[in-house]
Amino acid sequence: MEQVINELLETIMSNQLNVPVLQPILDSVSQLPMVGLIVSFILWKPVFALLICPGLSTVGILLLFFPWIERKLCARIQWRVGPREIVPWLGGLIQLIADTLRFLFQEVIVHRDAHRPYFLQFPFLSFLAALLPLLFLNAGNVMAIETPYAIQALLALVCLFPFFILGLGWASNSRFAFIGTVREAFMYFAYEVSFIIAVLAMIILFGTSNPMLMADKPWGIILNPIAAFTFFVGAAMATSRMPFEIPEADQEVAAGPHVEYSGIAFGLIYVMCYEKAYILAGLMTVLFLGGGSGPVIIAGLGELNGVMWFLIKTVIVLTTLFVLRTIYPRYRLDQGLNIGWGVMISLSLIALALSIVLVQGGVI
Amino acid sequence: MEKDEINRNMHILKTGVLSPAKRWSSKWSLWPCHFVTSCCGVELAHAFACGFDGERLGTLNMGISRQANFIIVEGTITRKMARALRIVWEQMPDPKFVNVIGACGQRGGIFWNSYNITRPSEIVPVDFFIPGCPITPESLLRGVRAVQDKIDGKDETTIKFKKVALPSDGTGQESTVPTSPKRFAPTPLVKLDIPRDVDWAFGSTMVGNLKSQLGGLYKSITITDKNRIAIKTAPEDLVDVARKLSGNMGLDHVKSVNVIDVPHERKFILEYMVSSYSSSELMPVIISIFTEIGREAEPEFPSLTPLWESADYSEREMHDFFGIKYEGNSGMNAKFLLAPETQTPLRKDFKLAEESYVYDESVPLNPEIELTSDLKMPAPEELYDEAEASDEFMILVGPHHTGSGHLRWILRVKGDRIVDVTPDPGYVHRSMEKIAENRLYIQNIPLYERANISDPFCMNLGYVHVIEKALEIEVPERAKYIRTMLAELSRIGAFFYDSGIFALFTGHSTGFMYVWAIREMILEATVRMTGSRCTPSFIIPGGIRRDVSKDVLDMISNFVSAVNKRLKKFEDIFIYNPVFIARTKGVGVLTKQEAIKYGLVGPFLRASGVDYDIRKVEPYEAYDKFNWEVTTGDAGDCLGRYMGRYEEIKQSLSILKQAVDALKKMPRGDVISEAVLGDYKAASEDIKGHFYHAYGNLVLPKGEWTSVVESARGTLLHSIISDGDSNVPYRSRIVTPCWMNLRGIVEASKGERVADFWTIYGSFGYFPPEADR
Amino acid sequence: MKKVTVQDQSTLEKAKCHAAAIGVAMKESIYPLTATVQYPRQRKKMPDNFRGYILFDPEKCINCWECAFICPANAIRMKEAPNKKYYPTVDYGKCIFCHFCIDSCSGGALRTTKIHDVAYKDMDDMVTLTEEMIEPPEIIREDKTLVEYQIDKKDLQIKKTREVDYLFVDEVPPSVEIPMVSQCIDGASCIGCHVCEQVCESGAISSAIANGVMRMKIDTDTCTGCGLCVKECSMQILKLVRK
Repeated sequence: MEQVINELLETIMSNQLNVPVLQPILDSVSQLPMVGLIVSFILWKPVFALLICPGLSTVGILLLFFPWIERKLCARIQWRVGPREIVPWLGGLIQLIADTLRFLFQEVIVHRDAHRPYFLQFPFLSFLAALLPLLFLNAGNVMAIETPYAIQALLALVCLFPFFILGLGWASNSRFAFIGTVREAFMYFAYEVSFIIAVLAMIILFGTSNPMLMADKPWGIILNPIAAFTFFVGAAMATSRMPFEIPEADQEVAAGPHVEYSGIAFGLIYVMCYEKAYILAGLMTVLFLGGGSGPVIIAGLGELNGVMWFLIKTVIVLTTLFVLRTIYPRYRLDQGLNIGWGVMISLSLIALALSIVLVQGGVI
Repeated sequence: MEKDEINRNMHILKTGVLSPAKRWSSKWSLWPCHFVTSCCGVELAHAFACGFDGERLGTLNMGISRQANFIIVEGTITRKMARALRIVWEQMPDPKFVNVIGACGQRGGIFWNSYNITRPSEIVPVDFFIPGCPITPESLLRGVRAVQDKIDGKDETTIKFKKVALPSDGTGQESTVPTSPKRFAPTPLVKLDIPRDVDWAFGSTMVGNLKSQLGGLYKSITITDKNRIAIKTAPEDLVDVARKLSGNMGLDHVKSVNVIDVPHERKFILEYMVSSYSSSELMPVIISIFTEIGREAEPEFPSLTPLWESADYSEREMHDFFGIKYEGNSGMNAKFLLAPETQTPLRKDFKLAEESYVYDESVPLNPEIELTSDLKMPAPEELYDEAEASDEFMILVGPHHTGSGHLRWILRVKGDRIVDVTPDPGYVHRSMEKIAENRLYIQNIPLYERANISDPFCMNLGYVHVIEKALEIEVPERAKYIRTMLAELSRIGAFFYDSGIFALFTGHSTGFMYVWAIREMILEATVRMTGSRCTPSFIIPGGIRRDVSKDVLDMISNFVSAVNKRLKKFEDIFIYNPVFIARTKGVGVLTKQEAIKYGLVGPFLRASGVDYDIRKVEPYEAYDKFNWEVTTGDAGDCLGRYMGRYEEIKQSLSILKQAVDALKKMPRGDVISEAVLGDYKAASEDIKGHFYHAYGNLVLPKGEWTSVVESARGTLLHSIISDGDSNVPYRSRIVTPCWMNLRGIVEASKGERVADFWTIYGSFGYFPPEADR
Repeated sequence: MKKVTVQDQSTLEKAKCHAAAIGVAMKESIYPLTATVQYPRQRKKMPDNFRGYILFDPEKCINCWECAFICPANAIRMKEAPNKKYYPTVDYGKCIFCHFCIDSCSGGALRTTKIHDVAYKDMDDMVTLTEEMIEPPEIIREDKTLVEYQIDKKDLQIKKTREVDYLFVDEVPPSVEIPMVSQCIDGASCIGCHVCEQVCESGAISSAIANGVMRMKIDTDTCTGCGLCVKECSMQILKLVRK
């Protein structure tokens, strides 16, 4: 028994997050009996990845503040101010907290025609499902489950989302939810193939599917911009962003699968959309923007430097993804499918060919 | 019950350990479910667009009732809409709040005695009432603040009046209560064919031509005014006359279908106004064919729809209003505009509540509105069966839907293709025609303006023209130029309104915001000129209410050049956006023949290649003095319709420039015709103080008076039948462009994809209050 | 006639247009042309002729009822005051702010204010009695800054000044005063019903019997030209003419 604990402790201590700035504090804290153990447990890389970054805490903070960034930026582009009066001197920074709390306290209506168990289960399930890929996402050197097949695993989990959206729509049993769900199903097949090929192109290019190793290579977006473009468009399609906001088209099918949800159930779906976008943005960062690599600005951050760069890059990608809605109207379903099955697959194949040529040519 | 409901919401917020958090979050997260029911929606959009940006207060417009917690009832709730309001309210999760904006939603405003409106406060519990017609964006936001304060526990009216004792000294003599200024002739003379001597050479050849064509089928052919001919026939001959006119004469569309009820002579007069798009010399001519039939409970008459498709919806409307069954029209077994319980309201024996001029606390302020307990939305059962049988899917769009506006569309789709579209209008039918019969001529100016507050000046102009035509008033030169300027300003405003809605329908919120900023400039100029943002009621018979100052003229001339900066950005981000072009090009095509057949009007007709613009065909105001061109196109698709209008706006900007330049050179003053002012001609610069004296007792000569103007969305036809004695119209008919274009939307959508429906809808610039009137 | 045709975009043009659209968004995110009036804290300046809440001055009212008669929404009803005169009350649940009443008021007793942002808790409060229309009302205001829209040759400019706008407009009498008097145009038709004499507020109308026939006499000096008698004359033989 003691041996097991010792081994475990050894594992934890051998894989600690190295942050020179915090070291003096950590040293003093580690003198205390229980606290030291907890701190070292949290700083154990897999746990740190799961709980802090890129895991739950980051997701939580991002969810509370990223929509604010999005709303403010969109408002700015649209010659408006955006949320503000709630705390004028902070520019309405805590707007999302109010919205979230309001959803939390509001009544959840399950309408007569809905399939009650599924109607209530799917928002929670989809929320959880959207958290799973975080296990395989790395921020710099921090990763929950280190495996050479992380990218593939992540991709497989990402591909799970649409099923939950289909479930939401099915359980809602409403005409608009039905159309929205069918649209989601169509769009799913349209983007998925090209999306996977684009990732494949990058795996071939880097010769590895371990995201940790990818960070040392040159940025993917420079090596294979076509793959980056395909991936970005695929991400926009996957997260239903403009101009591919086809399944949730507000003016056409009244938010599609989400039309009947209220209260915290809708809150979870709303959050799920952002989570999904965050994961895809994270993946884009890892694959194309060099992950956590970046110059050391604040000395002594150690491994946190990678985490910081990962976050900065991810937020930039996210913002770009979300600001698309101020630039584009929405495509029609058949046009979306055309782009997915036609242009995007062609581009992804070209990207794949480019990767092979680059690898064969010995560029990388 | 109502008060309990309000208290229940507050109770939810006030109980529990977490009540401070509940209150705080509800306060800052009031998401209005934009229940756009009427014209106040225009100002609501301004409040949430870049001009005022309601999102600052944490109120984010949400189209879906399940996720919203706040309804802003925008004005009129008609009998048909009442059910929708209740359903939407019931769909929202607790706690929820309701604000009613605009006078229509309180005591009815200008429509207070309409047969088709209800009071929202009797349908849902209301937290705050905001006066205005329409409200200003500021007052809407004040309403939001009031709800926020209420959540905080400060539930109060935001205005406090100081009471001052009234003078008690005086003669002490009882003053008498004067009688109502309205005068109804007891046995009015209703004649549609009263000849008028006009200088119109083509008219006599036309009459000769008609006489030889029609043989013995007519009773009389009269020139009633310039470009107006009335043909009286026997009831059994009307169809033959119509066949000859449509076949041989090239009169290819119906401008208006009208029925006049003459109870004291026990007859209905049935009238069709027809004109031509294909022959250029017939374009300005409007021929009215009419006949008299017995006044029965449900008279039957053959429909002219087989000859003129464009008569279809108007015949259904007359069926609703008078109970006349047009045999051969497919819509005769259900109500089209009205709720099922309203029976033949435009017959003269259907009386509206009378005005009371004396304040009396014991008299209720509102006429009793009977709400039937079963406010059922007319569900077309047979459509469901039909769709089921043919393996189609039915989508009900509206009346509360982010992309429906205030009417319901029943789409039948097969796969992603639309098989059929059934419109279900009337959700904002506020019974203008009936109300107009009960008001002084001058009181109908604001009434008819409410048909379309995004295009107010053109609406004004249409009605005022009828009076001026009938009384043969010549408008002073300066007033003509100002009116032209105003009409163009409002045309530009309406185009930007439609662009914004179109942008929203394609999912482009930035496009919406950008044009709303431009509209904000237009409204700023309007408010400086008239004192009101959207409902100026500025154009009056014989001129305009007061002269326009030089500052405003400068502002407008600056606007013409300043608009380019923002317009360029709008162009880049929306109009020439490849996604927008992909969405609209080749979608919803109407050929020239189809456009004429379905009686399209305005820029949407021109987009299909018909060169018809009333400003050129029958020039009015100062349009013939300016240098401008009519824009047409051949494509007839959504993009063609939109770009045609966009080009037209560039022409409008040039007219605006020319008009302002001319006005700056003109001396100030004299903007109201002496012919109307009479003794008050010194007031020709500003009517203030003499409005009632000059206009209170207008009486039109007997006969039928028809005017057409080119409003922003097309031909606006006003027709008034006067008995020459009453100072209220005997019958007033308004045919709005959107009403005529309704058929166009239906036909253009058939065979297109589901998502295209909203593009087509948006491209037609459909404004439901204007269509439903 | 101008024909509008829209050409198909070539791939290059499409790319250019995409770039232009993205360019606008990027530019606006850095230097936006924000046009927002942040209402509760800022207030937009309205012109003096703005049509808002109505104030009333009983001193100037000649009791002619014209405001009530012209009101298209029947929002104005006359209420009897202690001095037996009838003064207007306004029902803001009906008022459409067309200000036909103000334009009709020949005495200048009604005047406008710039108040328009009001929320009522109860619909019954919306009837404003004459007593409440005399003094300027108080509204809840949070504004500290006044915003004025100005349009110059280049663009919409938003001018902000730190001041609290005064919402009331000094009385503007009718720009043209036209003294009017009542006149009998067809004395022979008079049936001698005395209605005009009864309704006359200023006592300008008197009756006299001459040659066995009764005739009305109108004193042009005391006649205020209110037009009440003209409206009430059962034979419609009175007319307002210029003095």
